[in-house]
Amino acid sequence: MERIMLYVEDTPGMATAATWTLRLAKGMSLRVFALSVVTPDAPRRRDTQTSDAEERAWSGLYEIEDDAFQKNVRISLLFETGDPLQKLISLSTSYDAELIVASADCRLTCSELVRQSSRPVVFVK
Amino acid sequence: MAKISELLPRSAIVLNLQSREKFDVIGELVRPLVAAGAITEESEFVSAIVRRENMESTGIGLGVAIPHARTKAVSSIVLAFGRSDSGVDFSSLDGKPSHLIFLIAAPEEQKTEYIMTLARLSKLLRKDEVRIGLNKAGSPDDVLRVIVQHES
Repeated sequence: MERIMLYVEDTPGMATAATWTLRLAKGMSLRVFALSVVTPDAPRRRDTQTSDAEERAWSGLYEIEDDAFQKNVRISLLFETGDPLQKLISLSTSYDAELIVASADCRLTCSELVRQSSRPVVFVK
Repeated sequence: MAKISELLPRSAIVLNLQSREKFDVIGELVRPLVAAGAITEESEFVSAIVRRENMESTGIGLGVAIPHARTKAVSSIVLAFGRSDSGVDFSSLDGKPSHLIFLIAAPEEQKTEYIMTLARLSKLLRKDEVRIGLNKAGSPDDVLRVIVQHES
């Protein structure tokens, strides 16, 4: 295994999932792709809501990047807007990630991710 | 928390980068920050930023790169901006060269401010109108005007 896709959300369990992923990546010399997806909201509220959500998303990604750097783990950050489940599935395929990691408290429908993904999925609690 | 425009000294805006290789470009952007006294140990800062560049891509796509480092060699958070007409290879995941390069230097102990500055800058640079404005800017004042106009 060479590449892991870490799905990043601002949930209480995210730090645990990120720590677990970086530890695994360090131990196995893997490259991590950290993905955050912002969902566009209703048009009238899009500007302000997406702005805040986007800043939080980037902040979460850079927190993990900084941690990865301290641990000598190679990481690439991916930021997308759209449907999180579809983006996660398509990008894990296009970046050839061999494992998807998400926090157990993420807002994705876990069963749908497992059903639709061609990659193994780990939920970290 | 300081705004992006408040962290970018006019003297650290280079509208016509001469270098084409990323580490030379970083050197071009570091020099004005050393001259301004924001980076106290040039070699220590450059080695931190080179180490990060060797581990990961700081090209975020859309023709933008944000090389960054947090070290004891920096006295306060500061930015430099460079524009390259020919583009510079920052190993962006989209495979495209970077034309707009923002360098962020931060002190070791200011992790939260550093992360927030990176996040706010990344968000800002995803706006088409900001990138268009920065590409068209004819002077450092124009660059600052574009940023002030669009940062919340």
